[in-house]
Amino acid sequence: MAVDWHPSPPVETKAPPQDHELMLAVRDGDIDCMGELFERHHGPLFGYVAKLTGDRAAAEDITQIVFQRMLKYRHTYRDQGSFTAWMYHLARRCTSDHFRRSAPAPIAVDPADLESRADESRGVDESAARNDDHALLHRALGRLDRDDREVLLLSRLQELSFAEIAAILECSVGAARVRAHRAMRSLRDQYFRLRKEPLT
Amino acid sequence: MNCQTCIDHLPELADARLDEKTAALARAHLEGCPGCRAEYESLRRTLEALDALPAAAPSHRLRARVMGDIEAEKLTLRSQAGWASSIRAAADARRGRRFALAPLLLPALGACALVALGFMLGERTATQRQLADLRSRVDTMGQLFEQSVLQKGATGERLETVLTAGEARRPDDRVINGLINSMAFDTSVNVRLNALNALYSHADQDVVRAGVLACLPRETNPLVQVAMIDFLVAAREHAAAPELRKLVGDSQADADVRESARRAIDML
Repeated sequence: MAVDWHPSPPVETKAPPQDHELMLAVRDGDIDCMGELFERHHGPLFGYVAKLTGDRAAAEDITQIVFQRMLKYRHTYRDQGSFTAWMYHLARRCTSDHFRRSAPAPIAVDPADLESRADESRGVDESAARNDDHALLHRALGRLDRDDREVLLLSRLQELSFAEIAAILECSVGAARVRAHRAMRSLRDQYFRLRKEPLT
Repeated sequence: MNCQTCIDHLPELADARLDEKTAALARAHLEGCPGCRAEYESLRRTLEALDALPAAAPSHRLRARVMGDIEAEKLTLRSQAGWASSIRAAADARRGRRFALAPLLLPALGACALVALGFMLGERTATQRQLADLRSRVDTMGQLFEQSVLQKGATGERLETVLTAGEARRPDDRVINGLINSMAFDTSVNVRLNALNALYSHADQDVVRAGVLACLPRETNPLVQVAMIDFLVAAREHAAAPELRKLVGDSQADADVRESARRAIDML
């Protein structure tokens, strides 16, 4: 006997809007969508600025200014643009403004690291060694040129593509790749030097 | 793959950005080359240490501050929309009057001249009332704006926004409204002038001409006043005549402004 089989209708799952769609909505006047973009991006953005400046308070101020500028310049957001590249482009300019205002350039020190070091109750050797290693890496990062530090943070920690990095740094994709490689090698040299460890 | 090529690829191999085929070739080379392997290991360990850094988290104050900015922007947008709709209403009334008057005047031009004249006067009075209302809104809104959004950021930034908006080929209503607001309320003469210049490309829009006309009585800088008068002449805004006459008769007004207004009346 033939059985009438009616496949159940596919469940409609609506994918959450992409960043680009949200920003287009903001541009078109739906300002609330900026709240969603904030929730998605403020953490990594703050982390990037904090590592770049080494100043937690400044990083919070800069992160706020980046979102203010996104609101203010929303009409300049283009249809074909990448939201992330645009956001980091603004962040880069805000950070440059910060550095211009506050010379000399600070040494990058992660506030999270300072907090963990302040926690005296965790006196375990392993933890101390790890913190020492973090401190060494922060010192190594602080010794890099700001440009090298910037491209390294964008490529490795923010996981942006070279095309996106090129858009942020306003250079060619090839140049972004070369700068990232050079920055990676510079960090490696500094890190191993601080560890007093030979490279080979 | 030789050593030089392999070394060139190592940062991307350590960063997992190399395509699978090249990565396989590089790994095969590393198997038999201790020098390249040591180079690769040093890069890999550095990136591993970088990845292990604890992520810094912002304080809860950041969310409160940004959400406050978002709410402030929404309020501003609502205020701007209200103001812009007032300008639109005035502009629509004038446009509607043009179309409404044509069929009334043409067939009965001779016999109903007096009636038509009275009708026209009534319409003009209504439009003048709307413009007067608009001006009072401009004045009160101006004080509000002066302490809020338009004063955020440096003059250079506001100027940059105006210039960017002016470059838009097909700006939407919000851009036009933004330019009108900047022309009306910005404290910098430079920004006001540039906003006015940016509006030249859109002088065919009723809302733009009505906006410039509504802002003229509020403007105090002679440079901007003259530029506004030039704009109204270039746009052939005949509705500007009463305002221009007022300026000509205003003994407090700058001499150049009065002269400019006098010439504008002649040209219109």
